[in-house]
Amino acid sequence: MDSIFVFEQLLNGLGFGLMLFLLAAGLTLVFGIMDTMNLAHGSLYMAGAYIAARVHEAGGSFVGAVLVAVVATVLVAFVLELLIVRRLYARDHLAQVIATFGVILIADDAVKAIWGPSPVMATTPAALAGPVQLLPELPYPAYRLVLLAVGLLVAIGLYVLVNHTRVGMLVRAGASNRKMAEFMGVRVGRVFSFVFALGAALAALAGALMGPISAVQIGMGEAILIPALVVIVIGGIGSVRGAFVAALLVGLVDTAGRAFLPPLLRSVLPPALAADLGPALAGIAMYVLMAAVLILKPAGLFPARA
Amino acid sequence: MSLFVAQDLVKRFGGLVATDHVSLSVEPGEVHALIGPNGAGKSTLVNLISGLLAADGGSIVLDGVELTSLSAHDRVRHGLSRCFQITSVFRGDSVLDNLLLAAQAHSRSSFRCFGRRAGESALRERALELAHTVGLADMLDRVAGTLPHGVQRKLDVALALAARPKLLLLDEPMAGMGPEDSQQMVELIARLRSEAAILLIEHDMDAVFQLADRISVLDYGKVLASGDTAYIREHPEVQAVYLGVEEVR
Amino acid sequence: MSDKLHSAAIPSSGGVARWLPWALLVVLALLPIVGAELGLDYYVGFVRRMLIVMIAATSLNFILGYGGMAALGHAGFIGVGAYTVVALVDAGVSSAWTAWGAAVLVSGAIAALIGAVSLRTRGVYFLMITLAFAQMLYYLAVSLSAYGGDDGYGLYSPLELGFGRTTGNAALFFWIVLAIAALVFAFASRAAVSRFGLALTGIRDNETRMEALGYPVYRLKLAAFTGAGALAGLAGALLASHNNFVSPSTMHWTESATLLVMVVLGGLGRRWGAVLGVAVWLALSEVLKLYTEYWHWPLGLMLIAVVFAAPRGLAGVFDRRRAVQ
Repeated sequence: MDSIFVFEQLLNGLGFGLMLFLLAAGLTLVFGIMDTMNLAHGSLYMAGAYIAARVHEAGGSFVGAVLVAVVATVLVAFVLELLIVRRLYARDHLAQVIATFGVILIADDAVKAIWGPSPVMATTPAALAGPVQLLPELPYPAYRLVLLAVGLLVAIGLYVLVNHTRVGMLVRAGASNRKMAEFMGVRVGRVFSFVFALGAALAALAGALMGPISAVQIGMGEAILIPALVVIVIGGIGSVRGAFVAALLVGLVDTAGRAFLPPLLRSVLPPALAADLGPALAGIAMYVLMAAVLILKPAGLFPARA
Repeated sequence: MSLFVAQDLVKRFGGLVATDHVSLSVEPGEVHALIGPNGAGKSTLVNLISGLLAADGGSIVLDGVELTSLSAHDRVRHGLSRCFQITSVFRGDSVLDNLLLAAQAHSRSSFRCFGRRAGESALRERALELAHTVGLADMLDRVAGTLPHGVQRKLDVALALAARPKLLLLDEPMAGMGPEDSQQMVELIARLRSEAAILLIEHDMDAVFQLADRISVLDYGKVLASGDTAYIREHPEVQAVYLGVEEVR
Repeated sequence: MSDKLHSAAIPSSGGVARWLPWALLVVLALLPIVGAELGLDYYVGFVRRMLIVMIAATSLNFILGYGGMAALGHAGFIGVGAYTVVALVDAGVSSAWTAWGAAVLVSGAIAALIGAVSLRTRGVYFLMITLAFAQMLYYLAVSLSAYGGDDGYGLYSPLELGFGRTTGNAALFFWIVLAIAALVFAFASRAAVSRFGLALTGIRDNETRMEALGYPVYRLKLAAFTGAGALAGLAGALLASHNNFVSPSTMHWTESATLLVMVVLGGLGRRWGAVLGVAVWLALSEVLKLYTEYWHWPLGLMLIAVVFAAPRGLAGVFDRRRAVQ
C-alpha cells in the first residue's frame, strides 16, 4: 500500500463524497424546511442517470445530455411535487415514507417500461476517456477529475446561493424555524417548490455524472438513497454545511474502508477470516460512523434547529 | 427539618446560565410560591427539580432522600410529582382512562402483558377516588381532548396526584384561565395542601397571595428574594423588577 | 365504560369480533386437506408464507402501532432468526424446536442490544439508526462466506419435528405455522389491552407525561422492542424452514420498508391491522405477478391512495367509530 495508492483512493473518496453531497443537499433542505421525508429522491437520481445515458448515446454530446437530463428531471419533480409531495407536508413522517415508497415502486416500473429491465451502459465522453498524469507516478482518469471539479463548483455555488442571496436567506429562515419564517411573511410553500426543484436538479446531475462510473440500472436510486440519508443525519437535518462535511466524511470513510480495510486485515488476521471480514467492515463503516455520531450528538454534527 | 431542599442548582444552555445557583426549600404542609417575570427561568427550574432536565450542578433532597442523580420517573416514585404549564393529558383517551393510566404507574408492574387492565377493580377505585378529589367524577366518559381548558387542567392535577406525592410541583396551574376557573383552581389547591406540600409556580398574583405561605422571586435565573407574603410585598427590589410591572399592567 | 373506548381497536360489532378469529382459524386449518384434494399445493405454501410474514408484521405493529417506535430495520431481526437456524443446521443441529427456539433467543438478545442504543434517539433519527443497524447485519451476512455470503445458504434436509416427522411434511408444517401465528395474534391482542400495552400506548401519545407519571419509559420501550425483535426472529426462523434457503436479501432495507408498508396499509395499532395488511399486500402481489411483469406500480399507486384516502389504513375503513371522531 504505497502513498500513490492512498492518494488515489482519497481522490476517489472525495469524488464519491461530492456526488453524495449533490444528492443530500436537496434531501436535507426538503427535510429541514418542510419536515418532509422524500424516499423518492433516489428515483430522481435514477431518472437523471438514465436520461443522460440515453441522450448521450443518441445525440453524442455529453454536456447536452447532462443538461437534458437535469431539465427533464426537474420537470418530473415539478409534477411529483404538484401531485403528491405537496399534499404530504402536513402529514407525519410515516405517511411520507409510505407514499414516497409508493412513488419508488411506480418509478422503477416506469423505467423498466421505457428502457427495459437490463442495465444500461453509460459511456464516458470520448474526450475524457483517457487518464491525466497528475503526478509522475499517478495517472488519474480525466473523467473523475471533471467529476471532482463539477462537484466542488456546485458545492461552492450552493454555498453562495444559500448564504449570500435573498433566496438563500429565505431558505435558511425556513429551515431553521419554519413557523417563525411564515410569521415573518416568507411564503414557505413557494420556497419549498423552489428547493424541491433545485434538489431534483442536483440529484439528476449526480445521477448523470455517476452513470459512466457506476451501473445505470433499476434499483440504483434505492441503493444510493441510504448513504444520502446517512449523510443528512450525520450532518444534522436541514443543514447544507453539515451535509457537505458529512458527505465528504462518508465518501472518504466508505472508499477508504473498501480500499484499505481488506489489505489491512490481511496483514493481521488469518487470510480466510480477513477475506470474510474485509468487505463486511467496509460496507458497515458508514453506518458505524452514523451510529457513533448519533450517540454523541443525537441531532447530528450541525443541527439546523436551535 | 425541611421536607424538600434544593441546593445550588445550576443549569447552562451554551453560554446562557438559565438557573444560577438556586437554593430553595419547602416545609411540610407548606405552599411555597415561585414567581418571577417571563424568562426568569421558572420553567427550567421546575424541569430540573422534576428531573426532565439534567442539572449541571447542585443537589435535590426530598424527605431525607437524595434525588439528584435519579431519573424523572424514579423521583416520582419517591414522592415528587408535577403538573405541566401546557396541559399535558392524554387527549384521545377518556378521563377515566387518563386516571387509570396514572394510577397504574403506582400499583404493581407495568411490564405485565397478560390480563386485561380493564378488569382490575383496585385500579378503578383509585381512579374514581382521584376523580372525586379534583371534582371530575361526573365526566369520566368524556374524551379528555374535548373538555374545556379549565377541566383539562384539573385532570392534569389529578394525574400528578396519583403518585400520592409528598411534594407537588404545580407549573402555572392558572395559565390561560378565566377568573371563574382560576377561583376553582385556587380552592382545589387549598384543599390539596392537606395531602402534600406544594411548590407553586404562578403568574396570577391574586392566587399567589391567597395561597402561599412563602414566596421566592426568581429573576435572571437567581433567587432575588425569599420570605413570607408581607416581606415580598414590601421588598423594594421585587417591587422594582416584578410587582411594579404587574401594577403598570 | 373505558372498555367501550378501547373496543374501538376491535371491529365495531362485538359478535363478529368474537367468532371471526375462530372461523378464520378453522378455515385455515382445513386448507392443507382441501388444498391437497384440489391440487392447490402451491397456494397452501403461499398461505404458509403469508402466516409467517404476519408474525413479523404483528411484532412490528406492536412497537410501531402501539408503541410509536418507527423502526426501519425490522427485517434485520428476521435475518438474525433465519441465520441462527442456518448456523445451527450447519453445526449439525437437526431439531426444528431447538433451532427455532435458539432463533428467538438470539434475535431477542440482538434486539435488546440494538434497542438499548437506538431508543436514546427519537423520530427520524430513530428510524435511521435502526436502519443503520439492519444494514450492518446485512453486510455481516454478505461477508459470512461459510454460510454462502451473497449467494445464500440452502437448507437441504428438512428439520425434525419429533415423532419421526419433519418440516418436509407440508401439511404438518402448515399447521404448526398456523398454530404459532394464531398464538402470536392472540398474545398481541391480549397484550394490547394489558397494563404493558396500555402503558406503551401512553408513551406513544405523550412520552414526557408518562415519564412524569413515574413510568420507566425507556425500559418499557426496550422491553417492547426486544420482544418484537424476538418474534421477528421467530418469523425469520420459520421463513428459513419454509424456503429451505436463507440469503442476505432477507435483510435488505427494502424488506424492512415493505414490512412497515404492510403494517401501515393494514392499520397502525389495530388488532387486525398487520394481518390485513400482509394478506392484502402479498395476495395482490401474487395476483398481479400472474398477469404482468409490471406488478410494482399498482402496489405503489395503492400505497399513495391509502395515504390520502384511508390514512388509518384498511382496518380503519371498516371501523366507523374511530373515523367519526
